[in-house]
Amino acid sequence: MGVGEVVAEFGGVYVQSLLSTWLMTIVCFLGGLALGVLITVMRVSPIKPLRVVGDFYVQVFRNIPTISLLVIFVYALPYLGLLLEYRACLIVCIILVVSSFASENFMSGINAIGVGQIEAARSVGLSFVQIVRLIVIPQALRTTVLPMTNLLIATLLTTAMGSQVPLTPPELTGMVNYVNARSVAGISAFVVSAICYAGTALVIGFLGNKLDKKVRIVR
Amino acid sequence: MAASDTAIIQMHHVDKHYGQLHVLQDINLDVHKGEVVVLIGPSGSGKSTLCRTINRLETIDSGEILFEGKPLPQEGKELAAYRAEIGMVFQSFNLFAHKSILDNVTLGPREVLKTPKDVAEKEAMELLERVGVAEQAHKVPAQLSGGQQQRVAIARSLAMHPKAMLFDEPTSALDPEMINEVLEVMVELAREGMTMVVVTHEMNFARRVSNRVVFMADGQIMEEASPDEFFDHPKTDRAKDFLDSIRGH
Ligand SMILES: Nc1ncnc2c1ncn2[C@@H]1O[C@H](COP(=O)(O)OP(=O)(O)OP(=O)(O)O)[C@@H](O)[C@H]1O
Ligand SMILES: [Mg+2]
Repeated sequence: MGVGEVVAEFGGVYVQSLLSTWLMTIVCFLGGLALGVLITVMRVSPIKPLRVVGDFYVQVFRNIPTISLLVIFVYALPYLGLLLEYRACLIVCIILVVSSFASENFMSGINAIGVGQIEAARSVGLSFVQIVRLIVIPQALRTTVLPMTNLLIATLLTTAMGSQVPLTPPELTGMVNYVNARSVAGISAFVVSAICYAGTALVIGFLGNKLDKKVRIVR
Repeated sequence: MAASDTAIIQMHHVDKHYGQLHVLQDINLDVHKGEVVVLIGPSGSGKSTLCRTINRLETIDSGEILFEGKPLPQEGKELAAYRAEIGMVFQSFNLFAHKSILDNVTLGPREVLKTPKDVAEKEAMELLERVGVAEQAHKVPAQLSGGQQQRVAIARSLAMHPKAMLFDEPTSALDPEMINEVLEVMVELAREGMTMVVVTHEMNFARRVSNRVVFMADGQIMEEASPDEFFDHPKTDRAKDFLDSIRGH
């Protein structure tokens, strides 16, 4: 089967799987960002135990392959009486990993802020929470658009892990199995998925660059 | 410029170490309301550290610091509220890089004093006018010269209606031609009766506006005198050597 035939026969399911990939990417990325902010706030807080837990969290989830994490979630958690749906397992795993990378990005953004502005903010009478909310997070977000863009693309590609568990509809990589189980498409099924990934990543990269130019902080 | 008898800042037997280094040694210093005190001394003598203990950006090991007769709050809300009453101007300006000049000045009043936006902006524009950077209100800090940024930093402090102001070498990072524009703003403040502690090597400024010069070396206050007395008749050898060195002899 050529690429054209694959599209003709499975186009509808491909669209579904593309949407499924996009949706998972967005959920995992936003979830990862939100959790990443939280972890980062812990890591810069004045309370030592919080910092230790935050650092430990990042070391754990940054340094385990997502696939291992997924295996643990799918096969080990049920023994602990925690039974999650496949899709939920996948999303949680990716969020854990993405949040640890997001936190590393934020930390480098925070380091770029410089202690002087923080001291100025304290001198004006702002509280720790106000400084984090008004100075640290906005600046860290705005200086990390490019690394976060890369992380978003990495998140997109990581959702391919979904091919390792049964999902309905499948995501783009699982879609290859889906097609091959129903006809002899071989490499063509891969090509269609690859084009979808690459197209999405190009758009993300383009928008990320534009956003960076717009919000980047001149220092 | 007339300083009153009421000590607004009092430091009693203050000691501080950085590890082995004894940066502040038995510091005793009173600053009266409306007084301008200039801190001077060689690099590493502890001037910045002393200045920063007054708004507790640095903690102390022992001794006590009182503001308006009350010990400084240790932490939390009380400390933040106390800091809001003390202005601080840094060598490196430290404006908030992501905010416009106007927002730099209104942030404190709006978030800490809960001043309504329109009131805070009106007042901020008046302050920016006063320090001569009103036309720059909608730019971001990186678009301003050092001298302009430092004047904004002063306006940002003034917007909090501080009871006293700390200056840590406010002109040291500036190109020579910009030093005066900042000093003029400070002279004006002193004339209006602001209580000021100023770390600076600007002798003209010290002579024109300060009530007292405090000379530090090796973490100790070596000498305290009126500016004329200190610059014309320094008592200690350390002060003589230091003055020779900054006068380029
Ligand atoms: N955070 C710190 N940790 C360790 N040592 C420090 C720290 N801050 C300052 N010091 C040391 O304490 C001493 C006093 O520093 P301080 O900055 O108060 O001096 P200074 O009189 O302001 O000097 P300068 O004129 O160079 O600004 C110096 O020897 C400095 O190296
Ligand atoms: Mg200093």
